[in-house]
Amino acid sequence: MPQNTSDSKLKVSLRRTIKFLASLKLAVIVILAVATVVAVGTIVESKLDATAAKKLVYETFWMYSVMGVLAINLIAVMVDRWPWKAHHTAFVLAHIGILILLLGAMITQKFGLDGTLRVGIGQSNQYVVVPETDILVYSSFDGDRYTKLLEKEVDFFLDPPTKEKPLQISALDSTIKLTDYKRYVIPSRKVMAAKEKKGRHGAGLRFQIQNANIKVNVIEWLVQRRPGDLVTHNFGPAALHLGPAPEKGRGANEIYFTPQATGDLHYVVFKKDSEAPIKTGNLKEGEVFNPGWKMPIEVRALRYFPEAEEDWDLQERSAPTPLTTAAVKLEFNGEEHWMLLNDTLKLFSEGAVYIVSYGNRRIDLGFPIKLNQFSIDRYQGTARAMAYKSQVEVPDLTGPQTISMNEPLKYRGFTIYQASFQEDPNTLQPISSIFSVNRDPGRAIKYLGSFIISLGIVMLFYFKKKANKGKTS
Amino acid sequence: MKRLQIILILLLSLLVCKGSFAAPGDALRYLPVQHAGRIKPYDTFAKETLELVYGKSTYEGRGAPEIVLTWMLSPSAWEGKKIFEVRNHEILKAMNLPEGQRYFTGEEIFANEHFQMLMQDLQAKRESKEKLTPYFQALERLGNQLGVFREVAGGNMLRLIPPKEGNTWIAVSQFQGEQQTAFSALTRAFIDYLGGVAQKLPPEELNKAAESLDASVLKFEEVAKSNNPELYNHGSRLKLEVQYNHFHPFRWAYIFYMLASVLLLLVWTMNKPGLMKYAWTLASLGFVLHTCGFAVRMYLMGRAPVTNMYETVVWMSWGAVVFAAILEMIYKFRVIFFAGTLGAMVALIIADSAPAVLDPSLQPLEAVLRSNYWLTIHVMTITISYAAFFLAFILGDMGLVYFIRGEKQFEDKLQKISTSIYRAMQIGIAFLAPGIILGGIWADYSWGRFWGWDPKETWALIVLLGYLAVLHGRQAGWFRKFGMIASGVVTFSLVIMAWYGVNFVLGAGLHSYGFGAGGVEYVSVFVLAHVLLVIYASLVRKKLTV
Repeated sequence: MPQNTSDSKLKVSLRRTIKFLASLKLAVIVILAVATVVAVGTIVESKLDATAAKKLVYETFWMYSVMGVLAINLIAVMVDRWPWKAHHTAFVLAHIGILILLLGAMITQKFGLDGTLRVGIGQSNQYVVVPETDILVYSSFDGDRYTKLLEKEVDFFLDPPTKEKPLQISALDSTIKLTDYKRYVIPSRKVMAAKEKKGRHGAGLRFQIQNANIKVNVIEWLVQRRPGDLVTHNFGPAALHLGPAPEKGRGANEIYFTPQATGDLHYVVFKKDSEAPIKTGNLKEGEVFNPGWKMPIEVRALRYFPEAEEDWDLQERSAPTPLTTAAVKLEFNGEEHWMLLNDTLKLFSEGAVYIVSYGNRRIDLGFPIKLNQFSIDRYQGTARAMAYKSQVEVPDLTGPQTISMNEPLKYRGFTIYQASFQEDPNTLQPISSIFSVNRDPGRAIKYLGSFIISLGIVMLFYFKKKANKGKTS
Repeated sequence: MKRLQIILILLLSLLVCKGSFAAPGDALRYLPVQHAGRIKPYDTFAKETLELVYGKSTYEGRGAPEIVLTWMLSPSAWEGKKIFEVRNHEILKAMNLPEGQRYFTGEEIFANEHFQMLMQDLQAKRESKEKLTPYFQALERLGNQLGVFREVAGGNMLRLIPPKEGNTWIAVSQFQGEQQTAFSALTRAFIDYLGGVAQKLPPEELNKAAESLDASVLKFEEVAKSNNPELYNHGSRLKLEVQYNHFHPFRWAYIFYMLASVLLLLVWTMNKPGLMKYAWTLASLGFVLHTCGFAVRMYLMGRAPVTNMYETVVWMSWGAVVFAAILEMIYKFRVIFFAGTLGAMVALIIADSAPAVLDPSLQPLEAVLRSNYWLTIHVMTITISYAAFFLAFILGDMGLVYFIRGEKQFEDKLQKISTSIYRAMQIGIAFLAPGIILGGIWADYSWGRFWGWDPKETWALIVLLGYLAVLHGRQAGWFRKFGMIASGVVTFSLVIMAWYGVNFVLGAGLHSYGFGAGGVEYVSVFVLAHVLLVIYASLVRKKLTV
C-alpha cells in the first residue's frame, strides 16, 4: 500500500537522520568545534577582557548553536542505543551527565544573579550592580520634582549608536540623540568657557595652592553646576569654596570665592577660631595672594570662567585597562556632550531640565548589608596581603558575620563573597569592601550533572576492565 | 642481584647523610631571617638575593651566604664588581651597553644617563595600569636588583631580631645596644674566618676560626631570642630547609631515573629482560628521593606544593613515574616504564635548569589561593592528568621514530606503543574531567560561580575536548596505530598551551598569580619541531606503503 511505503520511507529517513545525528563523526566535529570556539574566546579575553570575551564569543549565536548541536548529538546517541543494556550504564551516565550539566548552566544563565556590591566601612548598601546597562531619563519643569521619562536596557558594546543610526529619546520639548559610543576611553575632565552665555552655567575656577617648600602643591578645578551653587575642595588643613560667602566664618581656615555679576571674582578669607573675615579682595587670572593663615600658603587663580562648561576629554584605547571606561555621545539642542558609563548628565532646554543617566543596573537585594569592619592580614613584615576579612551585619542574624576570602556568607538565597576592596589613594587605608553577590538556581543541577559524569567515567574503566577480562578468558 | 640492591641503598643513605651533617662555620646558614613574608634560614635568604641580583647562587665559586654578607660589611669593595645581571637585549640597547655582555657593575647601570629615564617609563607604564610586557618586566627586575643591593648594603634588608611588638623584625641598621654588640662580634668572627680562608691557614686554625664564628652566631641568636622568645621559635624547620637547599633531592632523583631509563632502553631494544630488576631498583630509588623532596617542600610550606609552574612540573613528573609503573605492572610492555622514567628525567632536568621561568624558591601563597582544600585537590588532579598525557607524548615520540625507521619491521613494538598511548590517554581523561569539575566546585565555593570562562579553566577544558576527540575518533576507526601515535604527540600541544601558554602567552585571567615571562621562543620551537616530526613520519610512511 502506498500509505505503507511512504510510512516506511519516513521511518527509513528518520532512522537515517538519527544515525547521522548520533554518529561519532558528528561527535568529533562538535567536540572540535566547541574547542575551537572557546579557544578563540580565551584569545579575545587576553586581548580585551572577560566581559568582551563573553559578549563576543561565549554568549553568542555561534556558541549557543554549537552547544545546541552537542546536546542533540548526545540525545541522539542515547536514543540510538535504546534499549539500554547493563554494559551501556557507564556510557549513558557520562553522556546524560553532560546534558544535565548543560541544563544547569542554562538555568544559571537565565535565572541566576551575579553582581558586585560595594559597601563603605561603617555604611550599608543593598543594591547589587550587575553587568547589564540601562539608559534612564528624568524630566522636570521646576528643577525640583522629576518624573521618569524613559528606562531602557541598552547594550552599546554590541549595538552602539552611530551618527547614521542614533538612539533617539523624545523629550517634552525636544529630542535627545545618542550618536556615538566608545568602548574603552581614558577620561579626563575638561572645563571651558560656556559657548552659549545665557546665565545657565555656573562659574569655573582653576586654582593652585602652594607653600614655599613645595610640600603642598594642589591644582584643582572648582566648577558650579548652576549659578549660585556652592562647591568645595577640602584639602585637610583648609577648604576652598566657590559660591556665595556667609556673613560669619565657621571657625575654620576657609576661602570663599564668589563670582560677581561684573565678571570679577571676589574672595573672603576666614580663619580658625575667628568669625570675622580676615581678608577680602578681588582676584584676577594669574594673580597670587597669601590668605594670612598660620601656615605660609599662597593661592593662585590659574584660570577663571564666569560661565563655565564641563566636558570630558577622551583618550581612546584599543584594549581596556583598569583606568578605561565606556563613553556615549549625546546631542541635545545642537550641543554635543560625552557621558561616561555610570555617570549622569543634566541638560537644559528652554522650559525644562532633563537628567540622563547611563549605567549598570542596580538590583535591590531586599535587605541592607552593613559593613562594620574590614581588615587585611598581611604576611609578616611585608605589604603582601594574606587574607581579607569583612565584618558585616544583616537583619535577622544576630551579631556580626565574618566574610573572608573563600568563606562566604549564605543568606536568604544569596551567597556573598569577599571579592576585593578599595583603598584611599592617599592614605592607602581601605575605605570600602567589595563583595560579589550571587544567586544560582542551577547550582544543584550542575552538581548533579558533575557527579553523574564522574560516576560514568569511573564505571567506564570498571566495565572496560571486565570486558577485557572476558576477552582474555 | 641482592648485593647490588644493598649497595644502591647504601649509596642512597650515604647521600642523605652527606646533607645532614653540618661543618664548622655553618651556623651562620641557619640564622633565622625574616624575608618576603616568612622566616627563612639565612642560607635561603642569601641564595635568593644573589640569584635576583647576579642570576646565580654562587659568585666566582664563593657561596651566596658569604657574598651577601660582605655586601653589607664592605659595600665599597663591590663597587667595581660586575654583579648585576641584565639579560634583556632591548634594555641593553636602550642603555647603550654592549649586547654581548651579561654582567655589569653598579656604576655602569645605575649611573647610566638613560637609567633614570627608563625607570620613569616603567613608572608611567605602571600608572597606566596596563599589563607589563616582558621588556617592562625586565626593567622591573633591574629596579629590584638595584633596590635589593642597596637595601642589603645599607643593613635594612637583613631582619634578624624579632620585635617586642608587631610582627616586622628589626633590621641590622636599627640594632641597639646589646644587639649591636652581638652583631659586631658576629661580623668580626666572620671577617676573621674569611681572612683565614684567604690566607690559607692550616686546617686546625681555620677550624678554630670557624668554631668561633659558630659561637658568635649562637651568641647572637640568644640575644635575638631574648627580645621576643615567642617569635623566635623555629625548631628544626630551618635546619631542614638548609639541608633541602644543599641536598637537591630532585637532581638526585633524575640521575637515578636516567640510569633506570638507560637500562630500560637496553631491555626494550636489545631484549635483555634480566636487567629489568635493576631498572626497577634504580627507578624506585629515584622515586623515593623524588617523593622525599616533595614531602620536604610540603612540610616547609605547610601546604601541598602545586602553586607555581616549578612545583607542578615536579608533581607531574612524579605522576608520570607512578602511571608508568602501574601500566608496566599490568601490561609488562617495558616501553611504558622506559617512557615514564625518561619523561620524568627530562621534566626534572628542565625544572632544575630554568630557574628564571620555573622558580624553585619557596614562596608564600597569594591571598586568593589561601587555605583551601578544593584548590589543592583540583590543581593536583588536573596536573596529574597532564602526567598521563605526557606519558602518551613520550610514547608517541618513540612510536614516530619506529615509523620513520620502518613500519613493517617494528609492527609488534608499534602495537605495544599505540596500546600504551591509548591507556595513558584514558587515565588522563579519567583525572582531567573530574579535575575540571573539582575546579568548578572550588570556583563556586570561593568566587560564587561554577564556571566563568577563565582562560586557565577554559584551556583545561580544551585539553579534555582534544583528547575526547581522539578517543571518539579511535572508536570510529579513524585513528589506528599511526593515528594514535601521532595524536599522542600533537594533542600534547594543547596541554603545553593550557599549562604554560596560558600563563606565558595569554597572560590573562584570575589565575594570574602564576604569571611570568620567559622561554616562549623555546617552547614554540619545541611544539613546532614535534608537529614537523609528525608530518615527516607520515610522509615516510606514505612512501613506504605506496
